[in-house]
Amino acid sequence: MGGAMTRRDWLTGSAAALVATGCARPVHLTQSEATIVRAPAYDQSLYDIVRRLVASQGAAARGRAVVIKPNLVEFEPESAINTHPLLVHAACEAFRALGASQVTIAEGPGHRRDTLDLAEAAGYFQTIPGFEDCFVDLNLDEVTLVDLPRRFSKLKRVYLPNTVLGAALVVSMPKMKTHHWTGATLSMKNLFGVVPGGVYGWPKNVLHWAGIHESIADLHTVFPRQFTLVDGIVGMEGNGPIQGVSKPMGVLVAGTDPLAVDATCCRLMRIDPTRIGYLRLVAGDPAVFAESNVRQTGEPIAALARPFALIPQFRALRLESGA
Amino acid sequence: MPIPELLQQQNPDGGWSYRRGGSWTEPTVYAVLALAGAGDSAAAERGLQWIRAAQRDDGGWQARPGVGESCWVTSLAALLPAQRLGEERHRRATAWLSATTGMESSVLYRVRQWMMGGQTSSQTTAPGWPWVPGSAAWVIPTSLGILALDRENRLRPVPGLASRIDAGRRFLFNRMCKGGGWNHGSTRALGYESGAYPETTGMALAALRGCHGWQTDQSLAVALRFLDQCRTADALNWLRLGLAAQGRMPEGYRAPPGIAYRTVPEVATSVLADGAVAGKSVFWI
Repeated sequence: MGGAMTRRDWLTGSAAALVATGCARPVHLTQSEATIVRAPAYDQSLYDIVRRLVASQGAAARGRAVVIKPNLVEFEPESAINTHPLLVHAACEAFRALGASQVTIAEGPGHRRDTLDLAEAAGYFQTIPGFEDCFVDLNLDEVTLVDLPRRFSKLKRVYLPNTVLGAALVVSMPKMKTHHWTGATLSMKNLFGVVPGGVYGWPKNVLHWAGIHESIADLHTVFPRQFTLVDGIVGMEGNGPIQGVSKPMGVLVAGTDPLAVDATCCRLMRIDPTRIGYLRLVAGDPAVFAESNVRQTGEPIAALARPFALIPQFRALRLESGA
Repeated sequence: MPIPELLQQQNPDGGWSYRRGGSWTEPTVYAVLALAGAGDSAAAERGLQWIRAAQRDDGGWQARPGVGESCWVTSLAALLPAQRLGEERHRRATAWLSATTGMESSVLYRVRQWMMGGQTSSQTTAPGWPWVPGSAAWVIPTSLGILALDRENRLRPVPGLASRIDAGRRFLFNRMCKGGGWNHGSTRALGYESGAYPETTGMALAALRGCHGWQTDQSLAVALRFLDQCRTADALNWLRLGLAAQGRMPEGYRAPPGIAYRTVPEVATSVLADGAVAGKSVFWI
């Protein structure tokens, strides 16, 4: 780590300064940019695409501990539920090539307790050499009680896994999916997976009772900057995040500001990000993530956007033309 | 060789981690139950000392030292024989369990729902157990709560215990999936059916030991189907326990090859499932 301050040091030692400045973070990252690239399939071409994405985003991983957080949910390898293991491996290789001192894959699934079995069924053991040695089950990790820097829910503090708190860079790798409670699940919702089931149970129902949108916003205040890489090669539409239908999109979306990346993903899904509760909470003002306020690089949204089917309860989220 | 594996994994403080690291209550209780059943009293006693020391003032146990809130693992600790855990400790554990319910069945929540014009679902009228207080009840903690209280009630019945167990069982029947078996909690979400899981189905069937009827029959059929397709140790262990509890474990059953036992609870519960299938269970009497 070369003496780099970890997120845990930062949170537990300098909470007041953090709240005051609202911008301290362990690595320097650019703001409000989202990059869209075409990635037609889960094949070997991903390694080069991801390496260029990581390099172009300037993630300062050299000599630091990087934690890659995919979205692992269910035992359905043929479905679009889980972040694809080839993409996760490509990210591991890219950060190793950048000189990361340690690359750990870490996840704490929300309702299946046998995480390693889940990872095996999702193809992670087969695709990622030495997977078991570089994987941490965040549900069962050592934990630290962390004061929430800014509170949106009734929660004041939350236990979080030391593996994530000790990382210099958290790489959130969600799947681009609709979600039957929040409308869309992307990089911010992916952070539910860092909340330890060993402490809160399966599912992490305390977060639901505290308010799902509010809890997502709470967690964002602990991890305001991540490198986010969204698996939109095949997403999920309809009754996501589990029972939906595969939606081939052929895209990856990356960036260092989860708000900008999630808003961009919503637009690709033809979902109005200003109607997603947790994005509104985090931003305060929807203008913050207006399309004009996100520096868009790579492919234009309009060229790749395709409407994701929405369950009836969420039809009002549909992004109207020109919105 | 599960017992040597368990012995090797015991932490210097007497407890067990899930795989590596500090001791947690769940793996420690399962390991103690498995070792005690196998007759290894020294390691089991060190584990028991860890468990006794970890009991909180309110009678419950936290997931691991330092977390600071009693939770669902109290059910597991209450499965330990009172004479081994300590009579008073066991009594307080039972009292904590008896008093703990999911938030959705609390009077406060139901009154609030009523005042807000919401309907009180039949699913909220039978209290189950939550993972942690202040949240809803779910199938796994409810099943374990029933197993712990039912065992105690058969040994030392006290007023109120039987009705709490009955309520927990009604909770499980209310939450049975369409077609049988259990998901983690809800049977439907936003109008969509939830599918059954093998481990929760096995666990619920164990908790419903002695309950007969079409719901049990339907779920037993689901469990038997799961058993043939089993892919994980947790699922296999609890399906065997559930089917054994119902007297329906197929004779001569051979587990599918390649199932990995990766955590201490998986290794220890496999020992306990072996015992149950052979007619000796720590989960029921």
